[in-house]
Amino acid sequence: MRLNLILFLVLIIFALATVNSEHQYRKKYSKLDVENKNTLELRDETTKLQLEESDKSGNERIEQIAKKKLNMRNPTNEEKVLLSK
Amino acid sequence: MILILLILFATLFSRAFYLQSMQKEFLQSKGGDISNRNEKLHAFRGKILDRNNELLAASSPVETVWANPSDVIMNKSQKNRLALLLKMRKDHLDERLDKKDTNHVYLRRQIAPELAGKIMALKIPGIYSEKNYRRYYPGKEAMAHVVGFTNVDGDGIEGIELQSNKFLSGEHGFRKVLKNRKGNVVDDLQDIQIPVDGKDVILSVDKRLQYASYKALEKAVEKHAALSGSAVLIDAKTGEVLAMSNYPSFNPNTSRSSQRSEYIKNRVVTDIFEPGSTLKPLTVSAALKNNSVTPDTLIDTAKGFYRVGKRLTVRDTHANGIITVKEIVQKSSNIGTTHIVEGLQAKYLWSMLNDFGLGAKTGIEYPGEVTGKVHHYKEWGEIERATISYGYGISSTLIQLAQAYTVFANEGVIKPITLFKEEGIIIGKRVVDKKTSNEMLAILESVVTEGTAPYAQVNGYRVAGKTGTAKKPNPNGGGYGKNYIGSFVGMAPVSNPRFILAVMIDEPTIDGYYGGVVAAPVFSTIMSEALKLYSIPQDGIEFDAPKEQKMVYLNKYDE
Repeated sequence: MRLNLILFLVLIIFALATVNSEHQYRKKYSKLDVENKNTLELRDETTKLQLEESDKSGNERIEQIAKKKLNMRNPTNEEKVLLSK
Repeated sequence: MILILLILFATLFSRAFYLQSMQKEFLQSKGGDISNRNEKLHAFRGKILDRNNELLAASSPVETVWANPSDVIMNKSQKNRLALLLKMRKDHLDERLDKKDTNHVYLRRQIAPELAGKIMALKIPGIYSEKNYRRYYPGKEAMAHVVGFTNVDGDGIEGIELQSNKFLSGEHGFRKVLKNRKGNVVDDLQDIQIPVDGKDVILSVDKRLQYASYKALEKAVEKHAALSGSAVLIDAKTGEVLAMSNYPSFNPNTSRSSQRSEYIKNRVVTDIFEPGSTLKPLTVSAALKNNSVTPDTLIDTAKGFYRVGKRLTVRDTHANGIITVKEIVQKSSNIGTTHIVEGLQAKYLWSMLNDFGLGAKTGIEYPGEVTGKVHHYKEWGEIERATISYGYGISSTLIQLAQAYTVFANEGVIKPITLFKEEGIIIGKRVVDKKTSNEMLAILESVVTEGTAPYAQVNGYRVAGKTGTAKKPNPNGGGYGKNYIGSFVGMAPVSNPRFILAVMIDEPTIDGYYGGVVAAPVFSTIMSEALKLYSIPQDGIEFDAPKEQKMVYLNKYDE
């Protein structure tokens, strides 16, 4: 009788523990999933930034800025000095 | 009173019993629909990079806004705002939302996530947004012909996007998940099918040179009011394509209609033409190889015209008299090459042209590559043999011509062409012996220094090459019309050729049409850019000993 009572209590404890662990599992899994989605978004962001970088560092843009904003030009032959052969 | 209570309880229990046992499956499946979801796991499409890992194509997220017409409820101000955000006329919007027989109409596809966010912020029921990916091409017009593009579903349909589609596109994954009330995933219901991302493709192309060649072509085509221009730059040692461009081009980032334009063809590999005089070095080196002539053999080109058989009169632009084989190539004498091939057997000449890669694929594996035509020698008469000697009655693509010239840059060995970055030594096939190749290279150099192509010169470097000015066949059939293709194929530096560049300008109409006038300057511009960017030592100047010691500052802050 007493043993049964103890076992019953143990059973209750374990049952609650199971429920709790399942709950914890789901909570953490949900968190993991959110983080995974975050990873993907960050990846998209990386690509976007790479594209932007590529666009900003494009030859066309550099040429335009060098010529128009900075008033740069190619050196003439007289301005070139040969350092070594 | 008690009776009423009992009846009420009985009703309650019977209802509960009914739902629990009879309707169990239906209700469970309904509940499952809410909490169990199938999710597609996106596989990223690989990027396309140039030889220096510069981005040429990448996928970036966009939103597709769609509606379920029968669910849409909105007031007037919402509608105005929506039409404004969608950049759509109101009656067009109404038209789409009136299609009550479907539950899925697209409002706008592939828009920026920020714009989609604004639309969703209107909170109009029945309007949804879905994330998908779209390709962006930072190389724009200059790169369009090499990279190609994808269709709206993300599959490559042109260029490298098509050629490497399998490699680039991964495999989508799939999972079945349990969601809670808030829509967060709490558990997997079965094994996840993990997505496999596509792989990146690294091309042999150099973005900087590609841009330079596109710009040079643009300038020449506009200057001479030509139909189009094409250029291909290859690494002489490896056969890697460093630049391959056509003008006019199209912007693969803008609307779909531009992708259907007539300019999407990569003419370097998909268009054939009669090469004209640029073919002469090939036929002449065939004669040099079997020792029927040497560069100094004298040949009488007479008064500038020469009859072959009954139907053909070969003409030169000038009466050249008695000249050497070297001068024949220099001055591009048709009569001269006709005399030279008279000493060759048709079968031999035919097999040599095949060895130079004419009539065969270059190895580039670009979708839609064509090979041009070399008729079988058994179909040749004396007229065909004569015209082939100066590049008519035979057709090739620009890239085939560039490939043929790898022979002269590699002491007689032809290299396969590739669009992908190569590591290590590329083994080619011997076409002519070292002596013949070097003789031809010297002749080609004299074309630039003394012959038809002074405009091909590059400051500080020795350059070799050959001009071509070919009449285009009459489009209405029969003979040749008044339109020309001006071309130039050449290499630099001659002391150890590193780059081969082929340029053609189709139908130049003003300011000249000769290859030496329209194509050679383009060659010079692109080639000097390539030599500069790759820091190739100058071989064309004799340096005087410095007269005085001079301090050179590389950076003004060193002073």
